[in-house]
Amino acid sequence: MAATKRLTRELEELRKSALKSFRDIVVDESNILNWHGLLVPDNPPYNKGAFRIEIAFPAEYPFKPPKVTFKTKIYHPNVDEKGQVCLPIISAENWKPATKTDQVVNSLVALINDPEPEHPLRADLAEEYTKDKKKFFKNAEEFTKKHSEKRPCD
Amino acid sequence: MKRQLSDPASDGSDVSEDMEDDDEYAHYYYDNTDDLDIDKPKKSDDPEYFEYTILQVEDAERLLNEEIEALCSALKVPPSLAKMLLHIHDWQRELIIEKYQQDAEGLLVESNINSEKKALVNDKDTLTGSNPACPVCADNYPRDKFLGLTCGHSFCPNCWDMHFRVQIQQGVTMGIECMGQKCKVLVPESFLYSVLTDSKLRDKFSKLCFKDLIQGHPKLRFCPGPNCSVIIFAKEPRAKKVECSLCKSTYCFKCGIEYHAPTDCDVIKKWLTKCADDSETANYISAHTKDCPKCHVCIEKNGGCNHMQCSKCKFDFCWMCLGDWKSHGSEYYECSRYKENPNIANESVHVQAREALKKYLFYFERWENHAKSLQLEEQTLQKITSRIQAKVMENEGTWIDWQYLLNAAALLKKCRYTLQYTYPYAYYMDKGGRKQLFEYQQAQLEAEVENLSWKVERAEITDRGDLENQMDIAEKRRQTLLKDFLEV
Repeated sequence: MAATKRLTRELEELRKSALKSFRDIVVDESNILNWHGLLVPDNPPYNKGAFRIEIAFPAEYPFKPPKVTFKTKIYHPNVDEKGQVCLPIISAENWKPATKTDQVVNSLVALINDPEPEHPLRADLAEEYTKDKKKFFKNAEEFTKKHSEKRPCD
Repeated sequence: MKRQLSDPASDGSDVSEDMEDDDEYAHYYYDNTDDLDIDKPKKSDDPEYFEYTILQVEDAERLLNEEIEALCSALKVPPSLAKMLLHIHDWQRELIIEKYQQDAEGLLVESNINSEKKALVNDKDTLTGSNPACPVCADNYPRDKFLGLTCGHSFCPNCWDMHFRVQIQQGVTMGIECMGQKCKVLVPESFLYSVLTDSKLRDKFSKLCFKDLIQGHPKLRFCPGPNCSVIIFAKEPRAKKVECSLCKSTYCFKCGIEYHAPTDCDVIKKWLTKCADDSETANYISAHTKDCPKCHVCIEKNGGCNHMQCSKCKFDFCWMCLGDWKSHGSEYYECSRYKENPNIANESVHVQAREALKKYLFYFERWENHAKSLQLEEQTLQKITSRIQAKVMENEGTWIDWQYLLNAAALLKKCRYTLQYTYPYAYYMDKGGRKQLFEYQQAQLEAEVENLSWKVERAEITDRGDLENQMDIAEKRRQTLLKDFLEV
């Protein structure tokens, strides 16, 4: 299967590059198509915590895009209550077989750091974000403290 | 292959004739239709006139190929490239030729066929060693096995093959792009065929491609009729009526849904969506039965005509407004015009909302009523047919003598159809003189259609002159309205 070799290579490279914003990558020995990791954003109000994400690769990978889901609850206009994210780089129309997982992760981190209220998954949060940023930040910070994972020390 | 001219004035009467003698027009070249104008009078005075041809799949394929070949020879480019250029630029050959002659490279870059110079990559250099790894599958291959497009991104043949498989399975054909990160360069058909070996997939690709090309061609459209495979070709694509000679379905050439003159494609879509959304309320209000306004006996509408006569007290009244029919026979038929509350701007939001619903229901009821009447008119047609049969059996004239009755029924159907589609048009019209004129003409048509409907349902041989006169008046009213309001 083309996916196995490519994913093995990608995993090696990703672990070697030791990204600050994406770490603790866990891959089940028996199923390389399923990754878990810890997303560590830099921008407030998300810099008070860390978020577990799952990356699910289809069997046809890299000819079809992976799916990214938040396992930790997050107060964000672009992530819905089920943890689904709308990320253009992995949409079926935009997907490119040459796109690597580190690029997907970087684009996800960028979206979390800077929400895009123009195309939200949660309209209520997008409205709060654009109309009353102070209130949004306060709510998001409280939510992050309550629900998110502990940030790694280094 | 058949050429069929839409001739609304003779619909239903000689359509079948049209279709039979048309085989002699065995060419579909759209720049070669002048010969027709010699035989048939110019229909420039008919607002619904529309020229179209019904093509079989092979004819449509030939037509596309001829357009592609014409561009090939004009620009001296391979067919695969010409096809892409035509598809991307809506088959505007002249424009493509002009742009190509001005700046060939610019056009190719703009069309995503070539990559921009500065975006060019040289993967042959970035692939390391004599046995580099493919950036997609990470397998190693000899350097000369790698393949790529004008952008320079190179991948192994297996990955290209798999990429094409997945794309074709997802229904992408003309829009398949290079696999490179963010690269928008399109894959030419020739490249795809050189890589893709599976004959089933090659076949599927070519079929899907054809579909894609037809759907993108402004002058062609697949017949939307159920299981109908023909393709309609119109020299001048417009929102006009097409009748498929094969499956008999009629529709608008531009949007493919039911023909909707005088309303245009956008408005009818808005109206149909609105009706689908609000159907609960509207259905509740527009019931199938009404009480006679005079003796209050319950009356079920069993014919298309809005001129009702109570079977009990013989009172003549209008189904729409329940008023005395006498006031409808005169020149001013008021019942199709919605009277808005003149003081609406000063009323509360609540009252305004109710007024908005009232206005919508007014138009919806009339729209719906004509739709129902049209269905009932079908029954009238059957009744007429059996009545004619009975007359012929009794030796009262021949079948031919009674044809005018069938013509009258067909014309009635056509007029009522147009009338039905005047209501969405009026609903979305802005207030003002033009709307007044429209509603005046609509009322005129409404009155004449009801007169015709009344006469058709009761026609006997002695009424022939009167009936034909009524047919003429109704059709004239219809034509006048379309001439003034059908945007072409």
